[in-house]
Amino acid sequence: MKKTPLRPFAVLLVPIAGSLLLASGCATPATYVDANSSHLVTNVGQINVQDYASAADSMVNSLIDNLINQGQLKSSSAGEPALLAISKIVNNTSQQIDTDMLVKKIRVALLHTGRVQTTTTMGLGGPEDPLAADQQKAQEFFEDNKHARRPDYTLSGKIIEQKSKAGSIRQSAFVFQLSLTSRHGIAVWEDEKTIVKQGSTSSVGF
Amino acid sequence: MQTQMKRNLFFLAGAACGTALLLSGCGATMNTIAPADTAAQHRMISDRRIITDTCLHYSVQPIGINTVTGPGGFLKIQIELQNTTGSMQKFTYRIEWFDENGMIINTPTAAAIPRMIEGGETLFITATAPTDRAKDFQIKFLGSD
Repeated sequence: MKKTPLRPFAVLLVPIAGSLLLASGCATPATYVDANSSHLVTNVGQINVQDYASAADSMVNSLIDNLINQGQLKSSSAGEPALLAISKIVNNTSQQIDTDMLVKKIRVALLHTGRVQTTTTMGLGGPEDPLAADQQKAQEFFEDNKHARRPDYTLSGKIIEQKSKAGSIRQSAFVFQLSLTSRHGIAVWEDEKTIVKQGSTSSVGF
Repeated sequence: MQTQMKRNLFFLAGAACGTALLLSGCGATMNTIAPADTAAQHRMISDRRIITDTCLHYSVQPIGINTVTGPGGFLKIQIELQNTTGSMQKFTYRIEWFDENGMIINTPTAAAIPRMIEGGETLFITATAPTDRAKDFQIKFLGSD
């Protein structure tokens, strides 16, 4: 039987075409993911969004359980929620992070308890809301009455990173430390949450 | 000769399987010691379960839930889980809170929390309600790789 010259090429074309079809079908298009889902990307050397949520959840639980639910949270104004101001949150990691990723979640959760409110006109480095601060000063001026409450508590803390490596396994531990200090300078609540992540070393770099 | 070879191969395969079984039974699992007469009063509540992942339910078994309301009026819950297998299991859990009308209470810190439980270990997960309006809850478990 006469062999056609195109037959070997036809034999090669089928697997090549099949591979191309398979590769194009396997490409993952961009898609939305629920921010609270357990299918988020996890990086060993980075604090991911779910880590902030987990740390904030742990801290808020601890605050409510050990302070608020025990009736230990005191307000200087009777009948009003305690006033909280945000102090220094130190970033002791190798990344540039916005500590509000943690602190804002805690503030919102505390506000929802109905027992704590946060001031936005007083804080380390200046007011968070400069317009609100100006409005407050103007009101005090016109009323000739300085009625701004001093915060009952201040929130301060630190985020620390610790890296380890053993063979092909690399590990990053992120330690979230927070303290709630009363106006007498006493830490009435403190807690620490550690998030540890492990992964195998990539062929290039750490 | 061939019969002898087949017999030897059969014997080797049987020995390999037996060794594997023996080694898997000797894997590291958790031993627990606690007082025989416990002073703590567990106020366990009855629960309803919707099981869609029988593997997870079998391996990480919820033993029970107990609840308490603190002086501040916040509900606190504790779930006891047991790993009935001989190997470490990973899972995530999420707690949803409901007010007295059955409406879900949204919280900014609601997230799937990853946990690990060693073989044979009993683990306690605790959580406090985000507000004193929370009167009911449900816990969702999802198996991880």
